[in-house]
Amino acid sequence: MTRFTRAPRSLAVVAAVAASALAFSACAPAASTPDATPADWELTETTPAPSGDIDSFTWSIYAEPFSLDYAYAFDYADNQVLANVCESLLRLNPDFTLSPGLAESATQPDANTWVYTIREGVTFHDGTPLTAADVVASMNRHLDPAVGSFWYSVYQNVTAIEQTGDMEVTVTLSVPGSQFNLAMGGAAGVVESAATLAAAGADYGNSSGGVNCTGPFSLDAWKSGESITLARYDDYWDADLAARSGEVQFVFQTDPTARVNALASGEVDGTWMVPSSAYGQLSGSDAGDVYYGLTTAVGQLIVSNLEGPLGDLRVRQALLMALDREGILKAGAGGVGDVTDVMTTESVWVGADPAAVTTAFEDVDAYPYDVEAAKALIEEAGVAGEEIVIVTAPISGEFAVISQATAAAAESIGLTARIESITPGAYTTLFSDPSAREGVDLFFTSWYLSSPDPLEMYSVLRTGEFSNYGNWSDPEFDAVVNEAIAIEDPAARSVETAKAQQIANAQLPWLPLYTTPMSMFMSDRITGVSPSIAFMYFPWAATIGAK
Amino acid sequence: MIAVRRVAGKLGGLLLTLCLASLLVFFSRFLVPGDPVNFLLRGRKPSPEAIAEVKEMYGLDLPPWQQYLNWLSGVLHGDFGRSLQYRQDVSTVIGERLPVTLMLVVMAGLAIAVAGLAFGAIAALYRGRAGDRIVLIALTILGAIPSFVGSIVLIAVFSVQLGWFPSFGSGEGVLDTVYHLVLPATALAIVFTVLVAKVTRSAMVEQLDREHVEVATSRGLRRGTVVRRHVFRNALWPILTVSGILVAGLLVASSIVESAFGIAGIGSLLVQSVDRLDFPVVQAIVLLIVTAFVLVNAVIDVLEPWIDPRTAAGAGAR
Repeated sequence: MTRFTRAPRSLAVVAAVAASALAFSACAPAASTPDATPADWELTETTPAPSGDIDSFTWSIYAEPFSLDYAYAFDYADNQVLANVCESLLRLNPDFTLSPGLAESATQPDANTWVYTIREGVTFHDGTPLTAADVVASMNRHLDPAVGSFWYSVYQNVTAIEQTGDMEVTVTLSVPGSQFNLAMGGAAGVVESAATLAAAGADYGNSSGGVNCTGPFSLDAWKSGESITLARYDDYWDADLAARSGEVQFVFQTDPTARVNALASGEVDGTWMVPSSAYGQLSGSDAGDVYYGLTTAVGQLIVSNLEGPLGDLRVRQALLMALDREGILKAGAGGVGDVTDVMTTESVWVGADPAAVTTAFEDVDAYPYDVEAAKALIEEAGVAGEEIVIVTAPISGEFAVISQATAAAAESIGLTARIESITPGAYTTLFSDPSAREGVDLFFTSWYLSSPDPLEMYSVLRTGEFSNYGNWSDPEFDAVVNEAIAIEDPAARSVETAKAQQIANAQLPWLPLYTTPMSMFMSDRITGVSPSIAFMYFPWAATIGAK
Repeated sequence: MIAVRRVAGKLGGLLLTLCLASLLVFFSRFLVPGDPVNFLLRGRKPSPEAIAEVKEMYGLDLPPWQQYLNWLSGVLHGDFGRSLQYRQDVSTVIGERLPVTLMLVVMAGLAIAVAGLAFGAIAALYRGRAGDRIVLIALTILGAIPSFVGSIVLIAVFSVQLGWFPSFGSGEGVLDTVYHLVLPATALAIVFTVLVAKVTRSAMVEQLDREHVEVATSRGLRRGTVVRRHVFRNALWPILTVSGILVAGLLVASSIVESAFGIAGIGSLLVQSVDRLDFPVVQAIVLLIVTAFVLVNAVIDVLEPWIDPRTAAGAGAR
């Protein structure tokens, strides 16, 4: 029972198909460990609609948002709060399709231009009406070096953002591109009141300055370090997504044990991303249940040094074949998920040509668990005895399992492996600081996408890109990706993207391990939410009401 | 007159200590590997101009000594700079979290004073007998429990099993906050109670063996009076001297307990700010703890002549 009435235009729904395919594959026996039974799990598209409104519910987050400024909202913690308060030009739905948001329409008069018609009758939480000037001011912040937006990469080819009509904003790009508009359903497309931005200045988005947006909830209180409270916004423009709860209280619980305790005891009504070690304890507990939903994340080992032994493709292939990924999935993620040999999930191939999806996911190399074959490859490459360094951090049980398993796999095929453990804070700098990656061969990431297009993954692996951490370079791959990006039609684009996926699967710039569905715990008091990773940008809390 | 000079001298020493501490606190950050700017960007691709802009905004483009002088003049004006992680004034970030930590420390402090003195006194008065042994064994066991283990056990028993107390957060309003802080304050108090009890016991045992106590007892004064007037009062000084360490220790130890109970105090803030290279916040909190430690010690120093019987020959304090 979804509550969306507006059909997405020009976007075919493949996510649902992908979801059912995933659910089906979960019933297949695990290939490498015939003695083990796979964990009993299924994908849920949405939970039953609420029977009525509710006064309030409490939701646990694993960390406090650093800021609620949309320019810095790029992580699960910030986005899951902001998604209910601030809205974007487009709306990213739980099935990962895009539909109109604060823009009634987005048109392309030519390949380098996007024209957004702004919705009439929308008000900010302070009661002031939404205007085209607010949109221009909000978008221009991403181009301002003084802001230092995390979403700058979305705007890097933007040459102008101008008001071209009473309720019309035109964005001009220096190169033709499909990706800019696709990002407008995320934080990069959020619209804030220009007056609020000017008044709050440097304190915009922090616990003193706050935010003033158009979403179904307004920011009511931020008790620094402890909780954020949202209150229903009664004048919200979209009746279909009017909040079913008067209040939502987010509590920050960095300790996984504390989170699980609070869920089990009923102190807290729900959380995204349940610690996998607690799946058993929490599913079917008296307090509520664990649900699994659509994801865009793939767990991967980033190869951050191609100067060392992993510079040889045979060594990367060997290491992937030496990893018992089914076993790792069981130990590190509670057995919920699927091993994969590619870097994207089918859920992001929205509007793709079905034949291209088949090519991208079926017509690729598999890397079955085979230590003997892997050993032979290492012998052939002549790197036996060479050392690789794996960096990990105490972020979750998954990280510990993966680092240990990878080291063991490397040792089993004749390499030597060293695990370096650093703090979670230092771990985040691996993703932005080249000097932090010096002497590091591998580190794990669960890489998620924020737009319904697999090119978001493959564009970062082009030569010289900021997130191409191993400086991998493949001219053919670059050409294919650039060609795909220039194609506007999603179906035609997906044919090119499938080629990029095949090259990445064969060349292994990173080592794909598995995909795990988004997990969510919800108490028996509430219902109505879709357990999809779209919670980062879709106002999911508005759909939650009384069971 | 002498007292005034004493206090002035103490003040001078105090300022010198704080000055040295500020130097240490500020320059220690340059020993830590990593660039705070990279944490600020958190893996996102910035424009090159944005990096330069951020560095300039936080004064990270200046030479260290100049950064220090800027920071120091800011601190003297009550401005501790801006937090890198929260993009907010450090004074606001800390100000929002200080009340709950102070409340936690006060609650724990009261518990420590009452329980520590009581257990120490019991052990001392029943020296060598069963009561003493039971207290000593209990203290040894409790003293061996790290704060985080204590926190986990308390949550498991009183929150999850019995459901008497909340397992996280600090509640709304004074009464609710006190209720929320019962378990964390208990967890925080355990180790320090052991310390105070042991100091109390040894100080009182020492006094009980003193001549004047025996004289007083032989003169037929009631035991209760002797213990109160002679033993306890004279034992108070060594107990007070550990309270400086106690206050600083409580503030530091609160980080563990606050993290375990999900309380947003300055302790948990310190831990997370160190990990995130949020130097302005780390410097401010460390300076705060050092200042508290130095001040408590200074107050005790000044009070010494009124309390310590050895320096206050015949100074009647009632």
